[in-house]
Amino acid sequence: MEGKVSRASRKLEASPIQELSQLAQTCGAINLAEGFPDFPAPPHLKAAALSAITADFNQYRHVQGICHLLATQMKDRHGIAVNALSDFVICCGQSEAFAASIFAIVDPGDEVLLFDPAYETYESCILLAGGIPVYVPLSPPHWSFKKDELMKYFTSRTKALVLNSPHNPTGKVFTRDELETISEACKIMECFAITDEVYEYITYDRELHISLASLPGMQERTIITSSLSKTFSVTGWRIGWACAPANIASAIRNIHVKITDSAPAPFQEAALTALQSPPDYYCSLRTEYEARRDYVVQILSVLGFQVRFKPKGSVFIFAELPDHCELSDIEFVKKLIEKAGVAAVPGCGFFHTTPQPQDGEKYQRRYIRFAFCKSGETLSAARQKMEQCVNEDGQLSF
Amino acid sequence: MILSSPFTASGAHHYEMPLSLRSFTSLNRALLSSSSPSSLLLRGSSLVPTMAASSTTTVSSTDAAPQLNQSTPSPPPVQVAKRLEKFKTTIFTQMSSLAIKHNAINLGQGFPNFDGPDFVKDAAIEAIKAGKNQYARGYGVPDLNSAIASRFQKDTGLIVDPEKEVTVTSGCTEAIAATILGLVNPGDEVVLFAPFYDSYEAVLSMAGANIKCITLRPPDFAVPLEQLKSVVSANTKAIMINTPHNPTGKMFTREELEFIAQLCKENDVLVFTDEVYDKLSFEMDHISMASLPGMFYRTVTLNSLGKTFSLTGWKIGWAVAPPHLTWGVRQAHSFLTFATSTPMQFAAATALQTSDSYYEELKRDYLAKKAILVEGLEAVGFVVYPSSGTYFVVVDHTPFGFENDVAFCEHLIEEVGVVAIPTSVFYLNPEEGKNLVRFTFCKDEATLRGAVERMKHKLRKR
Repeated sequence: MEGKVSRASRKLEASPIQELSQLAQTCGAINLAEGFPDFPAPPHLKAAALSAITADFNQYRHVQGICHLLATQMKDRHGIAVNALSDFVICCGQSEAFAASIFAIVDPGDEVLLFDPAYETYESCILLAGGIPVYVPLSPPHWSFKKDELMKYFTSRTKALVLNSPHNPTGKVFTRDELETISEACKIMECFAITDEVYEYITYDRELHISLASLPGMQERTIITSSLSKTFSVTGWRIGWACAPANIASAIRNIHVKITDSAPAPFQEAALTALQSPPDYYCSLRTEYEARRDYVVQILSVLGFQVRFKPKGSVFIFAELPDHCELSDIEFVKKLIEKAGVAAVPGCGFFHTTPQPQDGEKYQRRYIRFAFCKSGETLSAARQKMEQCVNEDGQLSF
Repeated sequence: MILSSPFTASGAHHYEMPLSLRSFTSLNRALLSSSSPSSLLLRGSSLVPTMAASSTTTVSSTDAAPQLNQSTPSPPPVQVAKRLEKFKTTIFTQMSSLAIKHNAINLGQGFPNFDGPDFVKDAAIEAIKAGKNQYARGYGVPDLNSAIASRFQKDTGLIVDPEKEVTVTSGCTEAIAATILGLVNPGDEVVLFAPFYDSYEAVLSMAGANIKCITLRPPDFAVPLEQLKSVVSANTKAIMINTPHNPTGKMFTREELEFIAQLCKENDVLVFTDEVYDKLSFEMDHISMASLPGMFYRTVTLNSLGKTFSLTGWKIGWAVAPPHLTWGVRQAHSFLTFATSTPMQFAAATALQTSDSYYEELKRDYLAKKAILVEGLEAVGFVVYPSSGTYFVVVDHTPFGFENDVAFCEHLIEEVGVVAIPTSVFYLNPEEGKNLVRFTFCKDEATLRGAVERMKHKLRKR
């Protein structure tokens, strides 16, 4: 009965990453692979959730207050004026917001542009909706793209462009120039943009996250998706949202209602507290993450990784294997788990394009993604373990 | 672009959603400025943006006017997906908005106005305190998968592997979506029984399925076996069953299930069975299709925490299926929501491990509530159809002289102050449901009595 599984879901293959994940578990490896924190969620948030459960906020809900708070934030931070009553859809995480957005606008045969490397899930949603993912490669080492090159990827079938900034896995934060290029293209080709801004509050070196929708002519064609998860270290609560012009939000809402109907009620209530966190909270968040970033950049560099692009945002660093290393990314990560007891993610799962001649053939097998949304103890322990496996040059070698 | 008018005389035409945003916006403005918002909402409902995804909203529907971006004169010519043509705006939201406006007692929407048991809430609180706030394993926290498997074994006698045959989702709604999107191809034939829970049709159209609908009719909503047989063939991919059944309260009998099972085995057809009300079975024992001989291999059994434990907002559901079908469900699930709320999963595991006395008490409580409602509805003058399970009852409203269910429900809210759900939304052809409305009794006894009193005093036969 293999044939019983839908064609769309059959295209989605189990990844080598899942096997490595199992290996990491078996070996009890320190987890620098997955992008969720191992430090606790903020106490004020947990308290709010506990109150909500006790106060019986446990039936299907839509907490309108969340929309008002988000609308205020968008106005204050990005100058985007949205209607709190009509422009938001509260979903089970940014995951569902993204899925619902894709289903709301992508018809079978529609093309959707994605920058490569890309978080794996986007493609799967697009395929499930019958769409065709089209990848625009970002060139190493700085993950840039050329203005005139971008237009070549658009066709009359292009329905939308997906923009993840700050970017997983590279940590890139798209600059205003780049956003202008993207917005011009979207306007000329009259297509949507769907943004994934989950790392919007996690930027470094005074880099500011710019929301694509804040650029001229973009609000009416942009669906913004984001969530509480990364900003508030509550990845398991499943509170996210989509924000779009009312008619599009309505379509997304119609889909959402059929997929899950409601995000978890008590956590919607707690979201009100989260979204009223004082400016201090966001400052500490950034400062603490920046310290972690700096620490990990340093230790990886010392261990021989080539860190030619320091992340400007997100909780990831996309490090290139040491020059001398002849292993592929998957082989390296396997050794890293088995010998050093540290888990990271091989970069190949994020790449979907054929390498361009100017970028060299092999780069897509040369990157490893480390997550640093981990406590100081964890990062320190990981360093010590990796230091056990260095050669006489002090470089990580298996 | 031709739009089907919401104001056509028949009103029964299958609602259509406009494709072009530009025409949608201008028509939308026209609709919203109309003088009769309530009938707008209940007729051309697909053209009005929903204000809330579900349940209680503090905003009445007339506040719903979307603001066009002031800086651009006209919206860009971009289109929403064609699959939304089949989507009707949810009737529940509209009814709730109207109910609030008229201070009506809401016996429409299917969630309790009392809360879940303390021991389950305490378990969630403990989980949050203990730091279980990060991503759970995609297909479920191991403790919960095990608890689901154990409960399933108690209920059906079947032993299932929690690791390979149980998938946790954000409510049964998502389990349904993941099952259909993971297992149904565009063009596949799927059999549905009308009236049906509204997400089935919507998600089947998202999957591009070819729906074959069989109507269940009063007074007993029995499955028309010969008609079913004529519709099932080697081309049928799946049959969707909901038992105990929303909205009618019907429970599929052993004979009906065996008949369906036989057709499935002969034609190699899958069964997707939504059993969220299995613990609310009153007049007969609940039977799971998966437990019939030879059927586990081709059945996906769907359930959830919400109805059984009065925690509908927690969104903990699951699918139990053999590994080859579970694979498809998990694939779709991982891209729909990725993972399910972590602390609630731990609490759900605690809930499912509770003893049978919880379920016995649950049934007793609901039976008492049902008696209040049913006796009241009969005394008022409705024709009340027997409901064997769920916390719903459907009744024939025609003694009160209204032309259809929507008109009756509007009157009931505005003049009597009680909410019921017009069942025509649960049919492919709304005409088939126009004589019926659905009441729920998942409310505390005072609320039920209050509603009955209002109807006794203010609802008059014409």
